[in-house]
Amino acid sequence: MAKTLIVGEIQKGALRESTLELVTAARKLGGEVVSLVIGSGVGAQAEDLAKKGGGKVLLADDASLANYNLDGWTRAIKRAVDAEKPDLVLISNTPIGWDIAGALAAQLDCAVASDVIRLETEGADLVCTRRMFNAKFDARVRLSGTPRVVTMQPGASEAYAGSDAGSVAKLDGVGGQNRTQFVEIRVAPAGGHDLTKAEIIVSGGRGLQKPENFEAVLKPLVEALGAQMGASRPVVDAGWLPHEYQVGSSGQIVSPKLYVAVGISGAIQHLVGMKNSNFIIAINKDADAPIFEVADVGIVGDLFEVVPALVNAVKTAKGG
Amino acid sequence: MKILVCLKQVPHKDARLELAADGKWIQDANIKFEINDYDNYALEEALRVKDKDAATEVVVVCIGPDRVQQSLRTALGMGADRAVQIWDDALAGTDSLAAAKAIAAVAKSEKPDLVLMGLMSDDTNYALTGPILAQLLGVPHATGIVSAKLDGGQVEVERELEGGALEVVKVPLPCLLTAQTGMNEVRYASLKGIMQAKKKPLDKKALGDLGLDKGAVAARAKIEKIYTPPKGAGAEILSGSKDEIAQKFVGKVKELGLL
Repeated sequence: MAKTLIVGEIQKGALRESTLELVTAARKLGGEVVSLVIGSGVGAQAEDLAKKGGGKVLLADDASLANYNLDGWTRAIKRAVDAEKPDLVLISNTPIGWDIAGALAAQLDCAVASDVIRLETEGADLVCTRRMFNAKFDARVRLSGTPRVVTMQPGASEAYAGSDAGSVAKLDGVGGQNRTQFVEIRVAPAGGHDLTKAEIIVSGGRGLQKPENFEAVLKPLVEALGAQMGASRPVVDAGWLPHEYQVGSSGQIVSPKLYVAVGISGAIQHLVGMKNSNFIIAINKDADAPIFEVADVGIVGDLFEVVPALVNAVKTAKGG
Repeated sequence: MKILVCLKQVPHKDARLELAADGKWIQDANIKFEINDYDNYALEEALRVKDKDAATEVVVVCIGPDRVQQSLRTALGMGADRAVQIWDDALAGTDSLAAAKAIAAVAKSEKPDLVLMGLMSDDTNYALTGPILAQLLGVPHATGIVSAKLDGGQVEVERELEGGALEVVKVPLPCLLTAQTGMNEVRYASLKGIMQAKKKPLDKKALGDLGLDKGAVAARAKIEKIYTPPKGAGAEILSGSKDEIAQKFVGKVKELGLL
């Protein structure tokens, strides 16, 4: 890759870890690495990225860019692309990344792939590895033509740990009228069901089939183990349990001593929320379910038979 | 108000997926299909606007072979007014950019005030067609929304960020919004709705009808191969009768000092 442009992201005043992961991915491809930092009063973060392997860092600094804005960001990235003529634009697959990547690719009329976990060059082409069918399969996707836009899954690469001289250059002409208007960030009120401090969590998924089964089938195991109950996203989406039960990237990020996943296939968004648990036991009827890839122990079987047996055995072990 | 809802038909959640012989897609000959889950929420949101304002027209569009007509009829049964099927063999296995170009051609003649679709599809998981389509139509967009409040010439949306945070954005009409799952409670088609759906118009458009040719929809992001991910070390699978498994489970919990 002759030249890669990294679109940096700032979170809570500092460079996002995923931006440094883009540095690793870009450097692995070889060629020149340049970066872009967008915001208002973010010169220090641009300096920081320059020192952390971002190469020449373009700084799009304007009051209108204080918060993420579709038009503001598209304009800034487009300016950087026009100035640097990169062969590849790398963005993190975050709520900003998936809002902007397609829009940018349409403006550049170029190939685009999202949520990529591995990048390789093959001749003039770029080959992306990414999940499909909700992580059931992996796919190799070949992007032809230049430039191309790729968003990388956070966590897919290690954050770049080297240091570098780098440099920062201000990018002009990045202010302007924006059609959409940022109002505020709303943080969901903390629910009464805090899973982040639980020692044991027993979570249920779509495999439980209906809401009543959380009470009838899952709760006895929760109680026998002295655990807290959690749930996967489809369960919350269907209204079976309130959002405060949801474990995953859009719910709670947990790391209990023991996590028991019952009838959860293991979509990426769920795995992000529980993979750092100390010990994971998964129960699922599908031996190929992705949850077994992160679990320490697996039980392949019908949860409606397995779970009651577990409840009995736990009760017996406790002398009840 | 006119709302265009873009639907995708994807394999049913419970379908057993097998790889096709050429390794480039799944075997889709003998499996059940359904409307992409994310798109159901987009359709429901459009129908709720129509519930409040009978003058609202909801048009659903779907790219796919004739099997997608069943999904379009389902959408009509739920309350959509008209359906458009886009198909040409050249669209098989194409990419987000090409799909957006085909839908854009329909959208340009329909001139909707609002385009709604799901954040992503459950097959390719790209989440790209929406933002590309918005750009091709020259309208602003917001992705992954969990609420939309129409207010005169604009819509105030909440976008889902990470960790339960929401970003509130005002987007002027016309615009395109992509729905997160769980945004609303999706209705079922009533029996009466299903009967009425049979008489509602369903137009089929080929590439030529849309002013496009095969070159315009050739994939630049081409799926070369799909495969079962290589297994890692994976989990230690407990074996035996269900009582033996339960004893082993208890043993593991004891080892952790939790029992």
